[in-house]
Amino acid sequence: MEGQVPHCDHTTGCITCGDEAIPMDVLEVDAGRGLALCADAERRRSSVEIALVDPVAPGDRLLVHAGTAIARAEVAA
Amino acid sequence: MKFVEEFRDAKLGKVVAGEILAAVDPDRHYKLMEVCGGHTHSIYRYGIDDLLPENVELVHGPGCPVCVIPMGRVDDGIAIARHEEVIFTCFGDMMRVPGSTQSLLEAKAEGADVRMVYSPLDALRLAKANPDRQVVFFAIGFETTAPSTALTMMRAKAEGLANFSCMCNHVTIVPPLRALLDSPDLRLDGFIGPGHVSTVVGARPFEFIPADYGKPVVISGFEPLDILQTVLMIIRQLGEGRCEVENQYTRVVPYEGNLRALEVMSQVFELRPHFEWRGLGFISQSALRLADAYADFDAEQRYEVPGVRVADPKACQCGEVLKGVIKPWECKVFGTACTPEHAIGTCMVSPEGACAAYYNYGRFASEKAVA
Repeated sequence: MEGQVPHCDHTTGCITCGDEAIPMDVLEVDAGRGLALCADAERRRSSVEIALVDPVAPGDRLLVHAGTAIARAEVAA
Repeated sequence: MKFVEEFRDAKLGKVVAGEILAAVDPDRHYKLMEVCGGHTHSIYRYGIDDLLPENVELVHGPGCPVCVIPMGRVDDGIAIARHEEVIFTCFGDMMRVPGSTQSLLEAKAEGADVRMVYSPLDALRLAKANPDRQVVFFAIGFETTAPSTALTMMRAKAEGLANFSCMCNHVTIVPPLRALLDSPDLRLDGFIGPGHVSTVVGARPFEFIPADYGKPVVISGFEPLDILQTVLMIIRQLGEGRCEVENQYTRVVPYEGNLRALEVMSQVFELRPHFEWRGLGFISQSALRLADAYADFDAEQRYEVPGVRVADPKACQCGEVLKGVIKPWECKVFGTACTPEHAIGTCMVSPEGACAAYYNYGRFASEKAVA
């Protein structure tokens, strides 16, 4: 698990603790498990908890912090 | 990614900077506090303060949860991590925060099983994969992070996971702001409000700042144009004699926040009567602990912890930095005894910390300029 997560560094900011969330786009939804496969701006993929923002659909933009989507974000047309 | 790149457009940034220059009163000094460590990081990463007129000063607030954790809590975490059966999990930055004698990283070097996780759900997965071990998650963060911990605890309870517990250090944003505003040595004209905390709590909790203290708040996004536009909105409020909560970050922050997140937090957490903040002292009702319904998952009830208050190192001036009273470089040990590699104070540990942001960007920029 440790090898899979990016490390904090000063060029990207604190990945988890700075109370800053990152925008991610929904690729697939696993409604049964309450998870969505999402991709960030660099196309890095991760599994995201969606209980606080569902229902979501592929193409939606979510704001993700500590593995959990905390808000929806607008997507430009 | 759409709606990210547009907010980093340098030409538009200069246009907004020009509008700020036109809006400021040249005979007035403006001191604005960015509450969130994420803003501090963006300001130095993109050199936003260089685009502002000289009479607009940005000061850094207490919004990095790593920076405000007192040493005694780190010691408590290390005491738990030293139990042989424990896998102690925490976010990356937390591992380097100094306790009174060592950090979690140093405890790991001595044999404690301390592991970095990206989310509390990773810690939960670790517990499922290691049924013979006790997995403890060191929870830290403002209301942005607390819902993630709350959902994890709900999952742990629903699944009856007996080998998972949480040492809760979550803090809340409003009490420290009130404490700052009550501080006699603080002179501020307005606040750059925390964008992502507000996605959860909404804008309403900040209404006391204009109502009780007469200072404007503008909730801001984290891209360079977001922050510049926020500064412009605050300057305009001050110029027009208005004083209210405005929301620059409407593309993400609903005024009422995320009601579902607030609901899960209220089920899992309750307010602590008081909690110590580094540099700010004890603040009433400023942190969360697990509610009685989740007592079985409370690491502080499961393990004995020292619970001792440890004074900050004398040389360290994190307290004044966190209150915006001094700039990081004005600290006696900044960049000499205290560097990101060998941090004395917490502000130098996290990239969101004001001192680390100055060290990593400000100093680098000045060295480049000299070269």
